[in-house]
Amino acid sequence: MMQGQVAIEKLTKTYVVKQRKGLFKAEKKNVEALKGVSLEIRPGEVFGLLGPNGAGKTTLIKCLTTLLLPTSGRVWINGYELTKQDNAIRATVGCMLMGERGLYWKLTGRENLVFFGALYHLSPTERKKRADAIIAKLDLVEIADRSVETYSSGQKMKLAFAKALINDAPLLILDEPTNTLDVPSARELRAVVRELNTEGKTVIYTTHIMSEAETLCDHVAIVDRGEVLALGTVSELKTSLQRDAVIRIEGVISSKAAQAVQSLPGVSRAAITAVNGHTQLTVVAEGHQTLLPQLIQTLTAHNAVMQKITPEEVTLEDVFIARTGRTLADDTRVK
Amino acid sequence: MTTIGKPSLSQTVSAALAETRLRLINISRYPGQMVLEVIIPIVFASMPMLLGRATAGDQAGANFAANTGTANYVAFLLIGSNVFTIVSGAFWHIAYWLRFEQETGTLEAIYLTPTSSVTLLSGVSLYSAIRSGGSAILAYLIGCLVFQVNPFEGNVLLAFAFILVGLVPLYGVAMLFGALVLKVKESNALVGLMQWVVSFLMGIFFPVTVLPPFVRAIALAFPPTWMTNGVRSALLGVGFFFGQWYLDMAVLWAFLFFAPLFGFWVFNRVETGIKRNEGVGQF
Repeated sequence: MMQGQVAIEKLTKTYVVKQRKGLFKAEKKNVEALKGVSLEIRPGEVFGLLGPNGAGKTTLIKCLTTLLLPTSGRVWINGYELTKQDNAIRATVGCMLMGERGLYWKLTGRENLVFFGALYHLSPTERKKRADAIIAKLDLVEIADRSVETYSSGQKMKLAFAKALINDAPLLILDEPTNTLDVPSARELRAVVRELNTEGKTVIYTTHIMSEAETLCDHVAIVDRGEVLALGTVSELKTSLQRDAVIRIEGVISSKAAQAVQSLPGVSRAAITAVNGHTQLTVVAEGHQTLLPQLIQTLTAHNAVMQKITPEEVTLEDVFIARTGRTLADDTRVK
Repeated sequence: MTTIGKPSLSQTVSAALAETRLRLINISRYPGQMVLEVIIPIVFASMPMLLGRATAGDQAGANFAANTGTANYVAFLLIGSNVFTIVSGAFWHIAYWLRFEQETGTLEAIYLTPTSSVTLLSGVSLYSAIRSGGSAILAYLIGCLVFQVNPFEGNVLLAFAFILVGLVPLYGVAMLFGALVLKVKESNALVGLMQWVVSFLMGIFFPVTVLPPFVRAIALAFPPTWMTNGVRSALLGVGFFFGQWYLDMAVLWAFLFFAPLFGFWVFNRVETGIKRNEGVGQF
């Protein structure tokens, strides 16, 4: 058995989807959502699971939280083995999945928390006390006794986060918790996550926002197409690209031009994203001094309009690009 | 922190009651619906009642007595429609619970907790029994008042006993139905179809003895048929299927032990099958 608060050994998940072929016809197709994922998460760390939409993050989280049965592999969470001790796992994990969708909108925020407290087998006094404490901690006092349907999207997300804390679990699993939050609220939530972490809670945090992972996570796993492509601390991952340089070029750049850049000697990856109505080409290469003239020449030859060229420091996003050849904005859902 | 391992009986009951309470709070925020639920069974029973009066006039009671064993066709029909309210409620509330929560995302949220689906189903069943049982009793009393018949004739306690014992196997059957809803991810059409089949089999407006033998055999395999006839026999003396109340009650007790266990077993199997593939949250 692997050590660690969460130990995942060669986890796979395959499921059958129906591919529609017109009105009444459908074809069954096997989708391999996880392909032998192995990970270890140590007690007291914030562990980031990074990847674009469809990378397999949510499938992995759903397996860890017992919502899905894995096809093969073994998992231990808080010392309990998945599929054999599922109840103990559920009791010792606090989850925030599917955001505001996991709440009863006709009930008040407080009623929601007390209800979920009961499902975690807290005594009536305990669940009220715990609900009060969380409401105070997350600054929900003013809205706690209003029905959830009257909340703003951000307030609902905050309540969904509060729900994850009701059982005071040693492990928190947060699936994209800052989705739909405005910038100050997201910052506030990240501060609470950090605070909970310093109090001793281990956190699994999935996100597709790289800056969030950089500021919050101790260890990071980059997941794409059901596989872990890179694993380590943020600085370790960045160091892995140390010999490389990152150049960003903004303007009007076609995908053909990007492909041409990709084939230049010394370029390990080139990927395009849309930024503020412009195209941004990120190039990961071995040293930009020698490459820059060639790069400009190639882009010009492909009718690219360049407005800004900046050599930059390596970010997690660059690590992702270097490993996958795509940006996080891409949807890599298995089709 | 929460209890790890098997929860105690009091924790399980507390979780089931929390589910019941949640649903009652939810429905209390729709008071108009509760009023309508009391009116519907009266309107439902009024139609055949008025048709009988229109076709048989003063002889309606005598004609009815010749075929059913009671001249009180008003109470006979009101009992039928109100027991049907409870039966239909059982199917509807279980199906609606699963389907609605699947769509809103709360089904996955409650599946993340250590409370078992059997406990949750028990909580929903209790809620359904309180909600539809309460409105059925109220509707029966109001219906009797409106049509000027005595609601308390016969053995009221025995009638209650038939309802209470009949509720448990009824929810067992409703769980089978819930498993079907989980599997096919549809509730409205299923409930619509089920309501017609059930109303026919349990004999809302007629005694099942008038059904052809083959259909009657199917009707007798369905617990609500025994429940309805038990209540009618206790209150109106239409006659128990086996002649004595305790024999009919024994059949209901047999259903009581078998139906919920079978219902839970099927539900768990379907649930595991779904978790093996796409999960309960996908709709």
